[in-house]
Amino acid sequence: MSLPKPDPRTGPAIPLARWADRQLKAMGETYGLTALSGLEGATLMGERGANGGYRIGGRISAGLGGSRLMPTRDGGWFALTLIRAEDRELLPALFGDARLAIDDPAAIAAATLQHDCADLVKRGRALGLPVASADEVPASPPVTVMTRGQRRERPAGHRPLVIDLSAIWAGPLAGHLFWQAGMEVVKVESRTRPDLIRRDDPTTFDLINQGKANVLVDFASTHEKAALIALIRSADVVIESSRPRALRHLGIDAETLVREVPGLVWLSVTGHGASGDAANWVGIGNDCGVAGGLSRAMAELTGEIGYVGDAIADPLTGITAAREGLAALRSGEAQRIGLSMTAISAMALAEERAFNRAAIDAELRAWGTAAGQPFPHVARRVLQAEVHEIGADTTRYLPGLAQC
Amino acid sequence: MKPGTRLKSAACDTEVMVIRCADGQIECGGAPMGEAKPAEAAPLAADFSAGTLMGKRYVDADGKYELLCVKPGKGSLSVDGVALVVKDAKPLPASD
Repeated sequence: MSLPKPDPRTGPAIPLARWADRQLKAMGETYGLTALSGLEGATLMGERGANGGYRIGGRISAGLGGSRLMPTRDGGWFALTLIRAEDRELLPALFGDARLAIDDPAAIAAATLQHDCADLVKRGRALGLPVASADEVPASPPVTVMTRGQRRERPAGHRPLVIDLSAIWAGPLAGHLFWQAGMEVVKVESRTRPDLIRRDDPTTFDLINQGKANVLVDFASTHEKAALIALIRSADVVIESSRPRALRHLGIDAETLVREVPGLVWLSVTGHGASGDAANWVGIGNDCGVAGGLSRAMAELTGEIGYVGDAIADPLTGITAAREGLAALRSGEAQRIGLSMTAISAMALAEERAFNRAAIDAELRAWGTAAGQPFPHVARRVLQAEVHEIGADTTRYLPGLAQC
Repeated sequence: MKPGTRLKSAACDTEVMVIRCADGQIECGGAPMGEAKPAEAAPLAADFSAGTLMGKRYVDADGKYELLCVKPGKGSLSVDGVALVVKDAKPLPASD
């Protein structure tokens, strides 16, 4: 349970790292997985920032700086994440201004100040933009069992097969923890949409995808999609982070698979929840941390609002998904589990405050007054296994494809 | 018309948000779209009945019009009788 002592040459500890650490230690103890107990929460939450030389950015997210917190007309704070060029094209519609200078952060901030926060959040979500208010209530519970299926008895020593369809950080981190737990993990990437963290941050990609087999699927091919679904039917766990219509478009019906495949554990990683309207909202690590109330909690302590950690909802959710997945596997019952990155952020804060209010508040205060300082140092993890080339294991896991 | 305006189909359930537009008539199912739904539904024109897909962005060939489907329906979108087409989606980059 101990965290490394703060190093005076580096920035303050990432708030909630101790919560993350407790989850890892508990998983390690419950399931006898020493590899999980051996991981530090501070490492999983801070390694991307430390390896990338990030600085605490205040109202601009650390790293790429793609997310910004801006004041609104009614005194609220609106978080907007802009990392895709085609999302910027939606800004005139978001603000109702055809002449908005969509590449100018000052113009976007000025436009934000002309609107009420709730209106921007509502319209932003209809437009499919990752947006949040610092004062929203999570739309879904952190973890929801959406569907249950039949039980499967697994023999002792069975090595679970995990199919990881997710991308970026939260889902792949869950897959990484399953790999650390000794499972066979197959990362599936789309021929037309590979996981772009491979290109944008290869160091992090390698750390959280090491040891996973890699399968490349052409989702335009009916034959390849059928081969993937056959693979999923032989699996113990599926991790995905697609919006419902994207999954349907891929021909993957999670609900039916969970009802038909005994013991299949299906983890749906989402920004704001896996059912209802919220299932269609886009959310990524930084804006989900804001939506989960972390920035508001920090502002209440320091008077200054800002982002807490680095895409903090991602590692918190990856760890939670692994915890829920391990519990579901042990139960043997097939189930689809929806995970909301926003509500998980709120849950982690509430649990940490219940655990040690003084410590978490001190950390939030330290983080909130450290804009410009570097991220805390964490020891760089050494790769323990090979990082498989993209598509290296396609013929092994989708053998039917070789015959075409 | 301001970008961000929400338009409803007179012929089906489709609703769109205007991303970009000029002075032409935006239609769905062959009938003009409006901010309010008409009391009586317009007939669905056979030539414009391919359907709209939730979350897809529809554009014209000149890039003057772009509409985001926020509610799907049976009609398909056009401007002054010329069908709009789906704009290709781009992959999501790494979260930051």
